[in-house]
Amino acid sequence: METIQLDILTISGAILLIATFGVIARRGFMDWLNAYRLQSVVLSAVTAIVGYVTGIWEIYIAAALTLVIKSLVIPKVLTYVTRSLEIEFKTETNPYLSLRASIIVSALLVAMSYFLSQQIPFKSDPVVNVYLPVSMAQFFLGLFALVNRRTALSQVVGLLIIENGLFLFTLVLTHGVSLIIEIGIFADILVGIVISSILLFRMSRTFDSLDVDKLENLRDD
Amino acid sequence: MDSLLSNITILSLLLTPLVGGILVTIFRKKKIIEIVTISSASLILIQVFFILSTIIHEKTITAFGNAFYIDSFGAVILLPISIVGFVSVLYSKNYMGRQYDIGLVDDKHIVRYYQGLSIFLLSMLVVPITNNLGVMWVTVEATTLVSVLLIMLYFKENAIEAAWKYLIIATVGLSFALIGTVFFYYANITAGSSEDAMNWTGMVHNSKLFDPNLVKIAFVFILVGYGTKAGLAPMHTWLPDAHSEAPTPVSALLSGVLLNCALYGIIRFHIVSSGTLGHAFSDQLLIILAVVSIGIAAASIYFQKDMKRMLAYSSVEHMGLVSLGIGFGGMFGIYGAILQIINHAIAKPLMFFASGTVSQKYETKVMSKIKGIIKVMPVTGALFLIGGFALVGMPPFNIFLSEFLVLSSGFQSGQFLVTMIVIAFLVITFAVFLRHLIKMVFGNPVVEMKQDDMGKLAVIPMAILASLVIIFGFYIPDQLQTLVHNASNIINGGSII
Repeated sequence: METIQLDILTISGAILLIATFGVIARRGFMDWLNAYRLQSVVLSAVTAIVGYVTGIWEIYIAAALTLVIKSLVIPKVLTYVTRSLEIEFKTETNPYLSLRASIIVSALLVAMSYFLSQQIPFKSDPVVNVYLPVSMAQFFLGLFALVNRRTALSQVVGLLIIENGLFLFTLVLTHGVSLIIEIGIFADILVGIVISSILLFRMSRTFDSLDVDKLENLRDD
Repeated sequence: MDSLLSNITILSLLLTPLVGGILVTIFRKKKIIEIVTISSASLILIQVFFILSTIIHEKTITAFGNAFYIDSFGAVILLPISIVGFVSVLYSKNYMGRQYDIGLVDDKHIVRYYQGLSIFLLSMLVVPITNNLGVMWVTVEATTLVSVLLIMLYFKENAIEAAWKYLIIATVGLSFALIGTVFFYYANITAGSSEDAMNWTGMVHNSKLFDPNLVKIAFVFILVGYGTKAGLAPMHTWLPDAHSEAPTPVSALLSGVLLNCALYGIIRFHIVSSGTLGHAFSDQLLIILAVVSIGIAAASIYFQKDMKRMLAYSSVEHMGLVSLGIGFGGMFGIYGAILQIINHAIAKPLMFFASGTVSQKYETKVMSKIKGIIKVMPVTGALFLIGGFALVGMPPFNIFLSEFLVLSSGFQSGQFLVTMIVIAFLVITFAVFLRHLIKMVFGNPVVEMKQDDMGKLAVIPMAILASLVIIFGFYIPDQLQTLVHNASNIINGGSII
């Protein structure tokens, strides 16, 4: 593997992580969406790079699908659904951990992912070495965003980041399982986003809030 | 069976619900779409019986190359899907018709409901017949999405809350399952497999060569992932909400069938991991989750006020019992576990249907406000009682037999302490559940009500299930015995056929 290729791998991995931090460090929904869009564009480029390195043409299709669905369709859908929501629903004013503490926790999570990926017995391969920790970091950061945020909207963004991490993870370890499974996964996300958008809309109407702490009717006490 | 015939069999099985869904979309008239859905569900039932009879004779069916693969274990899961699917559709006509009459749902909702039901059936039918574990993950995820749509049919606060929690928790949980699946795939590739490395048959074949450390991590991910969807504690938190807020026929499907599909995923990977590591590793994990599930279910049933939530927690308990049987292993345990899957799938929908009818009549799900069911609705009350007796494992009903097998396998395998703890939990559940049940069925209704069983079509599905509950308590047909026996051989010995 040439150094230039390795550099490209490293730089793209770094951009992916930075875009993920963009979600952790900002309060506004539009900022998250932009970070997610950036992440998805880079992810699609990464997918194409993996396709180039491994020489499997099906991966290019996955790259194209990523570009179209994740950086165009999903942000469009989410912007469209949330256009009528008031600004207070779209801002995370009161996460459980403050933004500063969140960034520290996230940094620890990234370190943990690098540590974990060294523990698991993988074959040494530059693509795996560079991207696997990044994908795990995305997964953990998505999980963290999901549990740390109060508004339902940011939970959706958390899910999207988890899903990007999963996609990268699957891609790196399997080199594109097979097209039909990947299309299935894409369809699942797309439908999931549409459904959660409908739910968000109904929630804002019925509860007059998107705070998930308000969802507490169903309990056993 | 030659390959053309098996291709046609699989194709027509999958096309039936799909075409049903499309016809529902085209016609949109309440009367017509009810008939369409009922006939598509009965067609599925007939086709599944055909497939089952083939499996009994030939052990396996493969179709479209290696893409679809049904063995006895897959067939055992197919059977409840088709039976519960059929009775749920039958019950839907009356139940949704009543909701329609009182104005809870309109024509648009009805169309959406029957579309969702067809697609839900389709996605569940793919799970036990696909050989590709990636496709299995995609379809399990699809079942989540469709069932969320069905739960949020009503525009109510509780339904929205339940749907949201279910969507988030199940999706995050299943992402763990995908990671596990990818790990298994990776283990398979590094062990030298190149073609169809995602296929279950290939994985079992190669499992001896897998890297043991990788398989350990992978199985934990699978257990957390599919375990969330199967309602194993402590990942069960979405289950009582979703199962209690869904329309009753959907609750029956969620509880009686969908949980089995997720458990099916765990057991498939359990077979692969046993090939690499031996039984002990995954057995232990399954037993731990099972005991926690049964314990949490016992405590939650004790404090329960809501009828449908109580039934939902009882599902947690029964899923725990199934994984306990698998974990104890041995011929008895696994045979009992598989029988438990079928028995639970028959008894739980019966209870959900009865409680749905009761809550429509009494207009509440709170148990303390429901009294004297047997006086107001004699037939439903009696069936409710039968279902309840079966669920707590009272002889001579069907679940007694499978629970007995599971517990005796615990003693056989020398796990005395675990078995005694589980028996203690089961005794608590038994007493509390029966007390709730008897308080609801007997006594005098709080308000004077007209005696009425809410229509023939509400009673017939329950009667079908109740008669199965009673028959399977005394006698299991030979064909079914062969099927369950072969399935337990697959799980026990890891022999593919």
